[in-house]
Amino acid sequence: MNAIIRIAMKDLRLLLRDRADAFFTFVFPLLIALFFGYVFGGGGGEKSAMPIAVVNEDGGEASAWFVDELGKAGGIEAKIAENRAAGEGLVRKGDAAACVIVPKGFQESTRKVFSGGGMELEAIVDPKRTAEAGLLEGRLNELGFRQLARTFTDSSMMNSFLDSAREDVSKSSGLSPLQKGVFGTFFDSVSSLTKEVTSKSGGESKDGTGESAGGGFRPVTVTMHELRMNPNSPNNSFAVSFPQGVVWGLMGCVMAFGVSLVQERRRGTLLRLCVAPISRNQILLGKAAACFASCVLVQIILLLVARLMGVRIGNPAIMAAAVLASSIGFTGVMMLLAGLSRSEGAAQGLGRALLLVLALIGGGSIPLFFMPRLMQQISSVSPFKWATIAIENGLWRAEGWDSMVLPGGVLLAIGAIGFWVGRAVMLRFTNS
Amino acid sequence: MIRLEGLSKKFGEREAVRSLSLDIPRGEVFGLLGPNGAGKTTAISMVIGTLSPSGGDVHIDGKSLVNDPMLRRRVGVAPQALALYEDLSARENLEFFGGLYGLSGRELNAAVDAALDMVGLRDRAGDRSKAFSGGMQRRLNLAAALVHGPDVLLLDEPTAGVDPQSRNSIIELVRSLKGRGTTIVYTTHYMEEAQKLCDRVGVMDRGSMLAVGTIDELLKAHGGDSVVVYHDETGEQKIVTRDPAGEVAKLIERGVRSGLRIDRPDLESVFLNLTGRALRDGGAE
Repeated sequence: MNAIIRIAMKDLRLLLRDRADAFFTFVFPLLIALFFGYVFGGGGGEKSAMPIAVVNEDGGEASAWFVDELGKAGGIEAKIAENRAAGEGLVRKGDAAACVIVPKGFQESTRKVFSGGGMELEAIVDPKRTAEAGLLEGRLNELGFRQLARTFTDSSMMNSFLDSAREDVSKSSGLSPLQKGVFGTFFDSVSSLTKEVTSKSGGESKDGTGESAGGGFRPVTVTMHELRMNPNSPNNSFAVSFPQGVVWGLMGCVMAFGVSLVQERRRGTLLRLCVAPISRNQILLGKAAACFASCVLVQIILLLVARLMGVRIGNPAIMAAAVLASSIGFTGVMMLLAGLSRSEGAAQGLGRALLLVLALIGGGSIPLFFMPRLMQQISSVSPFKWATIAIENGLWRAEGWDSMVLPGGVLLAIGAIGFWVGRAVMLRFTNS
Repeated sequence: MIRLEGLSKKFGEREAVRSLSLDIPRGEVFGLLGPNGAGKTTAISMVIGTLSPSGGDVHIDGKSLVNDPMLRRRVGVAPQALALYEDLSARENLEFFGGLYGLSGRELNAAVDAALDMVGLRDRAGDRSKAFSGGMQRRLNLAAALVHGPDVLLLDEPTAGVDPQSRNSIIELVRSLKGRGTTIVYTTHYMEEAQKLCDRVGVMDRGSMLAVGTIDELLKAHGGDSVVVYHDETGEQKIVTRDPAGEVAKLIERGVRSGLRIDRPDLESVFLNLTGRALRDGGAE
């Protein structure tokens, strides 16, 4: 065991010291995943305003004003949606960071500001865009203050609100006649003040900002809901692109270690390993262990970055199984490549000619579910396809362990057959 | 120390090594000579256990290497190719190879330091081997064979393509190891090197051992005639003779002294007399 670990550690050290190998094994897949994730996510243009879907379920004058103002607000691009479902659809597709719903009764709620109520809004947000949702809540409150200021500077609107408040007070049974009189005097004073403000401002509404006027008071209550994603679809574009990155990472491992085994033969270091008091199986297991460890490592790195990009790992246990099965499968592919190649040139040629094609059709270039049906069927010959499916199962595709039987089984079979054939060929070589 | 008993190897119908038998006592430097394709490397590969013999056996101190592969702990090998990891430092290379022989911790560190000292690379221990000159790489290649302190050392052309200083250093190291009782099997194409270093020499060709003996024994048996060379009024003259001293005495009696010298047979003469002068294009050894 000690010898196997020593050989594996030596190979990992050599991998990290070879800048090109390290780049194509660890960095290149990450760049691929980030690039495609960004492209699939609609990125690539200039940084523009935050797209927001807006649904007006109220239809009143106040809600119309609010929706109109939301559209004019800087940093926000309002997309009017006909109904809640359409708004959610825009968020789900990534076309909007959130969907703001102006609910029925909004007009009424604006009248309740002086009698203990307030404006109520709903927002459905993409869970991976929570930072933008926070920004949105701030902007909605800012608009709420402006709505409030507009009330103060519009005497007819204010009188309508005060009439409503007077009616509520007069109907109230919990207030004494004296208290009702005090409220009446207060409402009259507010009415006079509003008339004065309106006459000075020429009847125009003034913009007010929440920051200066409100202190800790929030005129708008925003009820945030996280968008419920379909559990069997990727929760964002990086959930599609990171399995692609895994394909290229596995390919990098296979190429690096397949070629390194051939190099050991050519340079004579394999001979030196063979004369040491360790068995051929220990040598090959050491090489395989290094490849397996780097396959696991590259997938863990990719998944950690994927998490940072908001990718949700739907089923961590299935994901762990997928990582292990992929690593075993591609360790077998590496052994096969090393066994079939007599020279570094042959290993690289075989890698380019065969592995590259298998990687491309196995989900390395186009995500599997974007492929036409025929292409999807052809891609079944590629071990990369099964690794992609296994990883996607861990991220978003799986509903249960049943879904891992086929990809996991194929990968384990590839690993076992590849190791066995590669080992047999290499043992024959070292004994000839 | 090492006994080869009827060792043979067949590749299909071709017999690469034919019933090779040999005894090499402890502390001896044994030179294995032969033209390309003679079967030297095949024989050595069977001794180090990288090839299974078709017949016969190799014994180290009476124990069969075929039946007890762990005996390989007692053998060190410096292959002709520089079997090193270029991206590892000299120390890392030696630590790795020493570790494969079961050394670890302080014991490994001490063994690595000792091996680096032996080949004069202690001050370059942290440098990657790809930064070394050819001679330094050869010395490191030798150190990798020595790091676990083997009783038996197989050196396959250890001075091929090195500068005179490194060659001298390697030769001195081999002498020093012999002084410590290490048994060494040494293959080389440099005859004068074998003549200087080896206690006994075996000449192989076409899979068979043609002759084995000390240098004097081989010269006497296979060296051929000496050549007495002198100058007279017509130019350089040569006398091929088994008795060069007698011929020189006769020439001096006749008053011939100009350019007088004796060209005695050397190991190269032995080699050529045994293996012939036809060019060999090699092939697998």
